Amino acid sequence: MIKKRGSLKIFLAVQNALFLRELSMRFSSGRMGMFWTFFEPFFQIFIFVLIKMMLFGSGDNDFDFAVFLALNFTAFNLFKNIVVKSIASFKANKALFLYKQVKPIDTIIARSLVEIFITMTIITIFLFLGFYFDFDISIKDLTMVVFGFIYLIIFSLSLGIFLAVINVFVDSVSKLINFSMTALMFSSAIFYSVDRLPLDLQNILSYNPLLHFMEIIHGFYFEALDDSFVSYQYISIWTLSLLYIGLWLYVKLENRIISL
Amino acid sequence: MIVLKNVSKSFKTKHGRKYILKDVTITLPPHKNIGILGQNGAGKSTIMRMLGQIEFPDKGRIESDRSFSWPLGLSGGFVGNMTGKSNIKFVCRLYGKSAKEIKRIVDYVKEFSELGDYFYMPIKTYSSGMKSRLSFGLSLSFDFDYLLIDETLSVGDARFRKKSKEALLKKIETCNVLLVSHDMGTLRDICDVGIVVKDGKMRYYDNINSAIDEYVKINK
Repeated sequence: MIKKRGSLKIFLAVQNALFLRELSMRFSSGRMGMFWTFFEPFFQIFIFVLIKMMLFGSGDNDFDFAVFLALNFTAFNLFKNIVVKSIASFKANKALFLYKQVKPIDTIIARSLVEIFITMTIITIFLFLGFYFDFDISIKDLTMVVFGFIYLIIFSLSLGIFLAVINVFVDSVSKLINFSMTALMFSSAIFYSVDRLPLDLQNILSYNPLLHFMEIIHGFYFEALDDSFVSYQYISIWTLSLLYIGLWLYVKLENRIISL
Repeated sequence: MIVLKNVSKSFKTKHGRKYILKDVTITLPPHKNIGILGQNGAGKSTIMRMLGQIEFPDKGRIESDRSFSWPLGLSGGFVGNMTGKSNIKFVCRLYGKSAKEIKRIVDYVKEFSELGDYFYMPIKTYSSGMKSRLSFGLSLSFDFDYLLIDETLSVGDARFRKKSKEALLKKIETCNVLLVSHDMGTLRDICDVGIVVKDGKMRYYDNINSAIDEYVKINK
């Protein structure tokens, strides 16, 4: 007889299985899977620091630009990976819905947990390198930076669930998203802090919710910056609406997604 | 015991709505091995998937206090770029098995499936016969009340078919099966009772032989 398990126990067993599976797939994708997972962000930052130095020279900032980029890219990559991986999640894991305890949303949660785990590892490596090479990595308000990251994760997950459900029934969503990620990268205060921009541009960019999250994270990291631009109300409305609509659609369509 | 209450299931096709089940109410008695018969497309596999709770009726309910395996079909439910071994471990973890149990199951499946080195190679290198060896071995090492078996017994070479049938006959001393098959011999050997699915209806026969007779009549 198979013992009846409580739903929390089942959920945890499923998460454990999916997490280990996702992780081993991430690291086995090609021989260089592990290498690229961790070194891609370093190259990214290296290249942009180089470009910036060539265009504007160094030393006009009251904070360390390399640390600034590292922080922003880590946050942005976390957002991007959670959203992109979530969108593909239902179709990629179709074969697993054969096991009734695997619900489609479990695969999104497991993928996001893997992304969070990888991000934490990358942050640790960054901190270690920063410390070793004597960058100024001191944090103004650690609690608020962590809060910013957690809020960003909730936002990304909400958007991910919403788009994943849409993607099941509308084909071109994932293409559109890959496209908009590049646009988002340039309009989300990754290479700059908003208060250094002209006022007109600030007003236009303020409609981008991701920008507010970036401002929270680097605003509380650096002594020279602050969160005065951030509208907490605006991002809360975005997050709650996406989460609500996403979960509502998911609950309505869960059975159809399982038997795709 | 499995109870179907006013169950309807249909699919939209280009030529209108096709009913698999239309307002079916039926009670299947406990502790019986049940054979499911019907022509191709009658909805046997869909019924299996509904019992395995990965497909859902449009209307009505299916109730049972028994546990069901995942539907053992040809597709297998394995991940192509993971090895046979890691796939086995993955399914064990899904069912919350401890490290000790996982090891026991991995050893058992490895021996039963006779895959040799292939056990440590990605599933995408497997033939369909090899895949069903693996999934059949895996399902035997769990203790479900009902095994849902969809045609898998009819793949593989003659020797392995014989071996699986013997293993299954031993297994049904402690559990029951719901079996979809077009092989009347297998159905007679394993099942006690039968269901014939036809035109959106399900008819229960308390003897597998009368179910087979009915099925043969339909095919004439």
